[in-house]
Amino acid sequence: MADTDLRKEIQEQQAEPLLPIEKKLIVGSLLTGVVLLAALVVVNLFLGS
Amino acid sequence: MTDTTASRLQTATRLTINEDWLSVLIGPLVFGLALASLGNVDLLGWAATTKVWTDPSHALAPFAPSYGALSGLAALFATYLALLLVLSAAAAALKADVRRFALTFSVTFWLAYASWILGSYAHLAAVTPADFSKYGISWSLRLTNEGGYIIALLLGLIIANFFPRFAAWLNEAIRPELYIKIAIVVLGGVIAVTAAGKLNLASTVFLRGIAAIIEAYLIYWAVIYFIARQYFGFSREWAAPLASGISICGVAAAIATGGAIRARPQVAVLVSSLVVVFAVIEVLILPFLAQTFLAHEPLVAASWIGLSVKTDGAAVAAGGITEALILTKNAAEGINYQPGWILGTTATIKVFIDLFIGIWAFILAHIWTTYINVAKPSSRAKLVEIYQRFPKFILGFILTFIIGLSLALSLGKAQAAQLTAAIGEANIFRVTFFILTFFSIGVLSNFRKLWEDGLGKLAAVYVVSLFGFVIWVGLAISWLFFHGIKPPLAG
Repeated sequence: MADTDLRKEIQEQQAEPLLPIEKKLIVGSLLTGVVLLAALVVVNLFLGS
Repeated sequence: MTDTTASRLQTATRLTINEDWLSVLIGPLVFGLALASLGNVDLLGWAATTKVWTDPSHALAPFAPSYGALSGLAALFATYLALLLVLSAAAAALKADVRRFALTFSVTFWLAYASWILGSYAHLAAVTPADFSKYGISWSLRLTNEGGYIIALLLGLIIANFFPRFAAWLNEAIRPELYIKIAIVVLGGVIAVTAAGKLNLASTVFLRGIAAIIEAYLIYWAVIYFIARQYFGFSREWAAPLASGISICGVAAAIATGGAIRARPQVAVLVSSLVVVFAVIEVLILPFLAQTFLAHEPLVAASWIGLSVKTDGAAVAAGGITEALILTKNAAEGINYQPGWILGTTATIKVFIDLFIGIWAFILAHIWTTYINVAKPSSRAKLVEIYQRFPKFILGFILTFIIGLSLALSLGKAQAAQLTAAIGEANIFRVTFFILTFFSIGVLSNFRKLWEDGLGKLAAVYVVSLFGFVIWVGLAISWLFFHGIKPPLAG
């Protein structure tokens, strides 16, 4: 695809609403990440004490 | 970067021999040759090393005193020839034009190394009052000799943006991914020998590396994907590689994700270009910020660099610059930390993040082909994609790490000193590959062309994500896990 077509495509993109699976992916990732990080912080404190 | 490096990566995933596998061959080769000195056979001592200089005739010397009969320039020429030989063989394996590679690599090597030599000029590199006295100078930019990396980068940027035809001509030898992967594989052995002296601290660093994985994949990726989709209106095809490029690891992650969600190749190429541009900007700024604000928390700085700079090359090299700057600042205050820990921590953080690219790509492929762009069963995500997208150079890193650690833990005192010298020789080549990486990254960064390619809106996502989120969360998590943990003192 020509460079100008790509630039035009990026600038003129129409918004696609988030699908339910996308929302699940975002929320699920964040929640899992926060929980695992919290667990790692606890392990870190336990190992350090 | 536009089509060149990223498209090489895409093509390479389909070839049996690619830059990843070559780094698994060449890195251990360099490491193995260096270790020959344990058997009293010094195979790499002729390699050129650079010192801080006021008189250019004193800038270069062979690494080992036993090769003292060689002049500095002869040592550098020998280093160039050795690399030309090995990398031309690598180019042949990659089915590149070997004669063209040899010619362009020659120009690349001498330009890049000239930058390194310039970076060691006392008025640029000298830092402490003792240095000033030793070299008879009254001022210096205090960049340390690792400022040579910045000069190589700037020279590459000048070539890319003001001499684009010359940059295009150099193309065959501009292979930052190959150079940095070889460097990281060699670095595995260097880190292992450093870590062996302080295993408790090393295992602490490893544990905290796990936090980096969680942060990059589960937290950064989700937030950046949401920002790209919801606030910037990017389609799924653009938002997923963009989120991976900004949150995980630049080029490799963007391409792996693009392939996983079956995006058009040019999407990943453009995203990769963006990540390289911002990595260049970060390398020029973050190490100096780290020195100013985090000098008394060296491992917080190391982790922060690893979490914030999003290409392997720029991150690990930025770790090297940060180490030089922070060690020097502390040395001026009478605190002499053992070298290698800051660079090692940054490299470990990056390697840990890279470990999971294949798994993340598979997860995204599964979601995309099963729920979003539902594919025929034969086109759905397969578990073999985890292996296909796994960065193979990490196998080389693990190999040299295991060998280095085993030797360091098993050798007696006398041979331990020989091992340290051997690692020093391997490190010469690690530094040389870093120099080539910095120069190559600069040559690939034609800002005007990238802007014409439609980078503006993508760059806006990067700016918002990086400065609104990635840097601060990275700093917070680095502080949480590394605050108060210091490298051991030297000697």
